Order: sequence, then C-alpha cells, then structure tokens
Amino acid sequence: MTFFILLLPPVIASILALLVYPYRAFVGWVNAALGLVSLAAALSFAYQAVASGTLTASTIQNAPTFGVVIDSLGLVDVLRADSLSALLMVCITGVGAMTLFLSPGLWHDQHYTQAQLRQYQIFFNLFLASMLLAVSANNVGLMWVAVEATTIFSAFIIPLKLSKTSIEASWKYILICSVGIALAFTGTVLSYFDFVTLSGRAENALNWTVLLQTAPQLHPEVIRIAFIFLLIGYGTKAGIAPMHTWLPDAHSESPAPLSAAMSGVLLAVALYAILRWKIVVDAALGSSYTNNLLLGLGTLSIIIASFSMVLSKNYKRLLAYSSIEHTGLTCIGLALGPLGIFAALLHMLNHSIAKSMLFLLTGRILHHYNTTEISKISGLLKAMPLTAGLFATGILAIIGLPPFGIFISEFLLLKAGFSNGYAWLMGFILALLAVAFVVLLRVLNKMLYGNPPADISAEEPDRTQGALLFLSVTGLVVLGITLPAPLATLLNQCVVIIAH
Amino acid sequence: MSGYILEVLQSILAIILAPGLVGLVRWFKARLQNRRGAPPWQPYFELVKLFGKEMVVSTNASWIFHAAPYLVFASAISVTLLIPLIAVPLPFDSIGDLILVVYLLLVGTFFLSLAGLDPGTAFGGMGASREMTVAAIAEPTIAVAIFGLAIGAGSTNLGRIVAATLVNPGVTISPGHLLAFAALFIVTLAETGRLPVDNPSTHLELTMIHEAMILEYSGRYLALMEWASWLKLLIFFTLLSNLFVPWGLALVLTPAALAIAVMTLVLKLVFFAAVIAVMETRIAKLRLFRVPELLGVSFVLALLAVTSSFLLK
Amino acid sequence: MNDYVFSQLSTLGSSIVLIFGILLLWRRSVSAYISSFRWQSIVLTCVLALIAYLGHDPELYLVAGFMFILKALVLPHYLNQMRIRLGVTREIDPYVNNASSLILAGALVLLAYVITRPLMQISSLPTRNGIPLAMGLIFVGLFVILSRKKAVTQIVGFLVLENGVVLLAALATYGIPLIVEIGVFLDVLMGFLVMQVLVYRIQDTFESIDVNQLNQLKH
Repeated sequence: MTFFILLLPPVIASILALLVYPYRAFVGWVNAALGLVSLAAALSFAYQAVASGTLTASTIQNAPTFGVVIDSLGLVDVLRADSLSALLMVCITGVGAMTLFLSPGLWHDQHYTQAQLRQYQIFFNLFLASMLLAVSANNVGLMWVAVEATTIFSAFIIPLKLSKTSIEASWKYILICSVGIALAFTGTVLSYFDFVTLSGRAENALNWTVLLQTAPQLHPEVIRIAFIFLLIGYGTKAGIAPMHTWLPDAHSESPAPLSAAMSGVLLAVALYAILRWKIVVDAALGSSYTNNLLLGLGTLSIIIASFSMVLSKNYKRLLAYSSIEHTGLTCIGLALGPLGIFAALLHMLNHSIAKSMLFLLTGRILHHYNTTEISKISGLLKAMPLTAGLFATGILAIIGLPPFGIFISEFLLLKAGFSNGYAWLMGFILALLAVAFVVLLRVLNKMLYGNPPADISAEEPDRTQGALLFLSVTGLVVLGITLPAPLATLLNQCVVIIAH
Repeated sequence: MSGYILEVLQSILAIILAPGLVGLVRWFKARLQNRRGAPPWQPYFELVKLFGKEMVVSTNASWIFHAAPYLVFASAISVTLLIPLIAVPLPFDSIGDLILVVYLLLVGTFFLSLAGLDPGTAFGGMGASREMTVAAIAEPTIAVAIFGLAIGAGSTNLGRIVAATLVNPGVTISPGHLLAFAALFIVTLAETGRLPVDNPSTHLELTMIHEAMILEYSGRYLALMEWASWLKLLIFFTLLSNLFVPWGLALVLTPAALAIAVMTLVLKLVFFAAVIAVMETRIAKLRLFRVPELLGVSFVLALLAVTSSFLLK
Repeated sequence: MNDYVFSQLSTLGSSIVLIFGILLLWRRSVSAYISSFRWQSIVLTCVLALIAYLGHDPELYLVAGFMFILKALVLPHYLNQMRIRLGVTREIDPYVNNASSLILAGALVLLAYVITRPLMQISSLPTRNGIPLAMGLIFVGLFVILSRKKAVTQIVGFLVLENGVVLLAALATYGIPLIVEIGVFLDVLMGFLVMQVLVYRIQDTFESIDVNQLNQLKH
C-alpha cells in the first residue's frame, strides 16, 4: 500500500501537468505538495526498516521486505523495499521535493515560457517516478526498464532552452546512456541465461531475491562476463569513467533543478543498480572480483575528474566533474569492506544533499548573471548575498571541510582504505582530493569577492526561494556533527545486506 | 593406373571445355542484352585464329615476357589436375591439396603481373598494380573460405572435403558452408576478372585490369594467356559447384558413372554461366577504390565461415 | 534429427542477421542502412518465430509479432521520414574507413566467439551455436555507433545493437519474461522517438547532422 503512496504522486503530478493547458502556476505548487507526499511514504519505509532492528545474515531474505504480489499478471513480488531501497527512496524524494519546490515557474520565475514549464513539469515528475520505480523494483528487468525510462524522460527536458550546446548535450546524453543501458541489458540477459540453465525458466527468475538465493550455484565464468557488461552499462549512467563523457555536458546544460536531481540522485540510483548486482555476484564469486573492478574504475574516475576540474572554465561543468569525482569515491568505498560500504552509503547521502543544493544555487546565479563562465562572475557577495552565503557553504561542504557531512564520510572512507591495506591508493586519492579542494576554493574566491560587473544589479530576486536551501545546509551540518541513531541503524542494515 | 589416365583425361576435358564456357557466358549476355551475339563456340575460332597469327614483341621485353604465357597456362593446367572435376578421390590427392591449389593459382597471377610490368608500358604497369590490389585480398580469402569447409571435413584435401559432404548431406545448409559459398563466389568474380571487379570486354584505361596486363601480347602468346584465363573461370566454377553441391561426381571409375559426372559437370557449368551472365547484365562495375571493400566483405564472410565451422564442430 | 535441423536453421538465421549488421559497415548510403535494418528485423522475426515453433514456447510468437510491427514497419518508416526531411544521403568519410571497418568487424566477431565460449559450454539448448553471432552483432552495433559521423547512422547502429540483444536473449534462453520484453520494446520505441526529435533539433540549429559539428562543449 505504501508503495502506491510512494509511486503515484509523481505520476499524478505529471498527468495534472499534462491536463492543464496552458500551464498555470498552481500546477507547480500542487506538484511540489505531491512531492512531499512521496517523501512521507519514503520516510515511513525508512521508519519500518529501522524499527525492525539489526539484521543478521540469516534474516536478510525475510525482513524487512514489504513485497507486493500482483498475481493477475503472474508476477510475484514485483516491488520490494528493504533498508537499501529505503535509504535511496528517502534520498530521491528528499531531493525531489526540494527541487520541486524550487522548480521553474514557481516564485515569480520569468525565465521560461509556459509551454516549456508545462513540458518540464510533465517530464520531471515522470523522471522522479521512474527513479522511484527503479529502487522499488524487485525484478531486475523492471529495474532496467525504469533506469532506461529515466534516461528518456530527462532527455526531453535537458534542452528546455534550445541552443546549440543544450542540444549537443542532450544528444550525447541520450546516445551514450542508451548504449550503456543496452549493454546493461545484455548483462541482465546473460545472468538470466545462467539462472535458466541451472533451474529452468520461471516467471520470477529475474527477481533479485531469487537470484540472490541461487547465486552460489551460478557459473562463475558466465557471471564474470555478465558483471562486466552490467558495470559498464549502469556505470555509464552513474558517471564512472571512462563512460562519463556525457555527464559534464548534460549536467551543465540542463535547467538547474534537473541538474540538481540528476547529479544528486540519478547517479545514486545507477550506483544502486550496480550495488544490487554486486550483491548477487559477490554471493556467486566472492567479493574480490567486483572489488577490484570497482577500485580500478573508481580511481580512474577520480583521476579524470580532478584533472578536468583544473581545466574547467564553466562553474556548472566544474560541479559536474565534482560529481564524477564523488561517484568515483563512492565506488572505491563500496570496494573496501563493511566500513567502506558504510562510508560510501553515507557519502552518497551527503553528496545528494550537497550537490543538489549547489546546482540549485547555480541556477539562481545563472539567471542573475546570465553567464556560465567563471571568469565573468565576480562580486557574488555584493550582488546576491544570500545565494553567495549558501554557495560558499555548499562548496566548503563539497570539498570535505568539517563541520559538514562529507568530511565525516570521506574520513571514514579513507580509514576503511587504510585498514584494508590500500595505504598508497588512499594517499594518492587524498592528493587528488586536494587538487579538487584547491580548484574549488580558487573558483569560490574568484566568484565571491570583488565587485560585480557593471551591468548586474545588486537586487537579489526571490529570497524566500533561496531560503529553502537552508534546509539542505541544516541537513549537512547535522550529518557532519552527529550521526543520528536511526540513520546509523539504517546504514548498518544496508551494510549487512551488501556485505554479509 | 587408371586413376592417372583419368587425371589426364580430366585435364584435357577442362582445357577443351573452357573456351566453350566463356563463349556460352558471352552468348547468354548477348541474348539478355537483346543482341544476337556470336555463337557459343566462337572462342574456339578465336584461338585457332590467334595461333595462326604472327607475333609482335616489344624490344624492351625480356625472357619473362616470353616465358609468362607458358607458365600461366601451366599453372592453370596443373590446378585442373588437383580439383574434383569429375571424379573423387583422385590419385593426385596425395600430392596436392587446398594449399597447393591456392599457391599454384598465385603463381599464375604472379607471372601474369610480371608479364604486365615487363614491357615497361603504362597500361601494363597499371594493370599489374591493380591486379595485385585485388589478389592481395582475394587469394587469402580463397584459402580461408575453403579452409572453413576443410575444418568440417577434417582435412584440407579437396577430395576428402567432397567425400565428407557426400557422407553428411545436411551440412550443405550449415552456415559455414553457405558463408564460404558466398565468400568464394565474390572471390570468383575477382579472380576471373568479371564484373563488378573487372570488365572482360573492355579496353578502356579506366576500367581494365586483366586486359591491361595482356595488352602487349599477340599471336600464340595471347592465345595461351586467354586460354589460361578461361581455364581459371572453369576452375572456379568447378570449385563452386563441386565443393558445395558435389552430387553427380563419380565415386567409382566406371564409364556410366563418368558419363553422368561429365553431364552433371556440364549442367552445373551452364547454370553458373547463366548466373554470371545475368549478374553482368544487371550490375555495374565498381569504382576501383571500392573493390577492396567488396573483397573485405568476402574476407569477413570467409572468416565467419571458418569460425562457424570451427566452433560448431 | 529435429534438434540438428533446429540448430542449423537457427544458426543460419543468426548468421544472416549478423551479415545484415555487417552490411552497415560496407554500404555508404543511408537508405541502404535503413533497408538493411528493416531486412535484419524481418529475418530476426523469422528466427524468433522459428524458435517459438521448434522450441515450443508460444510467448515468443508475441515477441516476434511486436518485433515485426515495431522494427520492420514503424521504425523504418520514421527513419525514412527522417532521411527525407533531413536530406542526408551518404556517410562519407567515417572515422574508420569501410575496408578497415569490415576487417575490424571480423575481429569483433572472433572476439565475441572467444567471450561466449563459456556460455556455449554450459548451455544445452539446440540454439546455443548462434550465441556468439548475437554477441558479435552487439559488438558490431557498438562499433557502428563509435565509428560513424552522421546522427541517423548512429541511431540505426543503436537499433541494430538492440536487435543483437533481443537475438541473444532468444537464442540463449528462448526469450526473457514477456513483461520485461514488452518494457524493452516500449523503451526502444520511446528512445527512438526522443532521438528523432533531437535529430530534427540538431538539423535546425546546426544546419547539418554531422556529429563532428557537435563540438561546442569543451572543458
């Protein structure tokens, strides 16, 4: 039942936007309220997960799962939520609600036409719905369909403002991500093939729970090949190098709330997909195979991202490369055993909050200054004090300074790396993080101080809208100072699911 | 002993049939183009005419020029001794197999090119270089395509390949065989100088390959060169038909079986002559830089044939 | 005997499907690409129907039907509309020229054989011999996307890649569960429609659909 409360509001929002022609502002507000409904449902899932206490290896399969049986179509246990799904659901709905409240068209925003706003509301809500479906699906085929749907829906609204660059970004995005997803599908087919040769065909053969159960008997060679396809496929959507080339373009060219959602949660959803498969493959092969792959690709992502950040001249692209870097960090964390996984999941949560906040702020900066080039922006403190303050907070958070959450998660990650014997690798990563640190601080310096260009007014529009972002800051500070007990329980449950 | 006599007879049969085959192709083409055309036995008269004519040899020509016609003709005849023309197995099977056949064909091509280069004319050099471009991809493709068949038969011996197909008829529709057939068909067009690779009836600089190399020849040398190229056409048609559809070949050396074998051979040759004639009427010659692409396709098909046969054993 | 015939026919069908894919690397004109894709889909439908008949799996008939309607009728129609409206005729000067592309395609098929050896060894289905060909088609589709410059060619390459995956699923497991298969088809259709819209927009803003021109976004 809760599943419907979770999944239906974005769909209803989208249908509402479709029906109301021409677009009216109330549509945006109603959709934002519906976003809150989804958030409530996600929180209820999380509460149920936490309330069931600590998990042990033997109870993983049974609890807590809130399965849904749709017998009429012969599908068994199509939707399922456990602690890991609950964590992702909270992330998605949280960032989703935030971006819905700050979407174009609300708060006297005059930058888009009515047709564009309607298109945005329709597809953005469908995008949210498909992300939620991806993390609620027990059937890995359905998960695949949902992830592909996210690509398609977001591709509609990346070129919301038509220009050469936005169309180029959108084309690269849809082509590269569709190819990646097709490869992920190949991986899914290969593991289904493995299952079928073992146990014959069954309707629920693509259910994750069933795959996990039969995992120890699956053939190692086939699963190895399948995982490579899956890693490359879903890794393309997650922004793991070397399949990341679409990311800076797409995230920098799309409207700010969409960039926030994509950077904040879409990458997390793709990582979730990889994680689900990692659990199955680890049960079949032992964890060293996937760990090595994740370590390698994660390190490569951080290297490429750090050096690209040095060269970047566009502040949105800079943040996009920072997303790639953090994805790389999360991958490395996932490869470092239970402590590393804990750190990685916490990092995913922190990054969602921080990055979405940052992108939403860049939207405000862009609308005010009308340029995305770093060199043309200065005097942010004087021209837009609220935004500047929040932006500075966000940047300081994302580079890993205390008292923000990312400091804690990066610290735990490095600690896990050192305790697993990867001292040299951790040292190298620290150096790369330092590069990112320096670059982002330099950019922040350039943008904040000095005098604003002559033609920029010092009047900050829509301050109330910006004030909403204080919520994100609060979240980051809370996570930076303390780890609330429910969250710790939830994360520990996830670790048990992943690394039992 | 009778086997060896059969070999010689087989070779003579091929030599006699070759001009008739080419005449038939030209006659079919003419009829398709709504012309009356010369009768199918016209090439015989051409040969008789050429043997009677006086030869004019360039002063720049060396011994290669004089030796090449004999060498090319000899290589063609020697191949006819090794292919399953009318009966299988053949006594020469122990000496020669697929690899030797490919090398003998290559020897012929090699000396033909040298003969084109030898007199030092522009056309000859041009023809030789074009021929080498084509041969560079076509010759390995022959080997690889027939190798695909050989893997299934367990031997590169052409006689045994045929025997294997006769024993197991279902293998004729196997992907390996069909792909090898397609590859070999394209190579036939390339090696025998038919459209779309080369036009056998043109003397335009833009389009000729084989004709360019033999442009300097006259008299009996020209007769031998032409006869050798017609013999190559017959050889390739025989390979196409008897390796892939070997029914009709004599398995015992009785006159009845041999008669049937000769008749089926003639039927198959007529069929292929018709196919080639229809193709030549319908398609245009490819531009020269696109010929390697076509041959690349045939090479890939041959490669697929080998992998199909190899991994599906 | 039945199994033997089944095996040979399915492998034959898969080889023809693969060859239509390799044709994309040989021909130059965009209308040739579209008709290769159409014929490939038709042959693929026949292979699916064959597997449904000889493998006793009636669900595959539905899948074959969807495949025929979607990929042999609907998509080529839209592709041809695109071709006419955009006025694009030839893929001149790709990143890898045609002759080398063909040889690389041969190498990719060999690679596919090597990768899928373990799969062939553990499977006992009569159709398993076609698995390397399906994998080869996936690689060839990927190669077409990477080495060609016109956006329409890249779309056709993507559709060929999807064909390869469907073929792989059919040969290896007689098809994945129907619901997922339908989801896949819908995704392909929607993905294609989005790509179509984008290509028209590319044409309108860039005055050409040479993806080489899409180089504004750097650093």
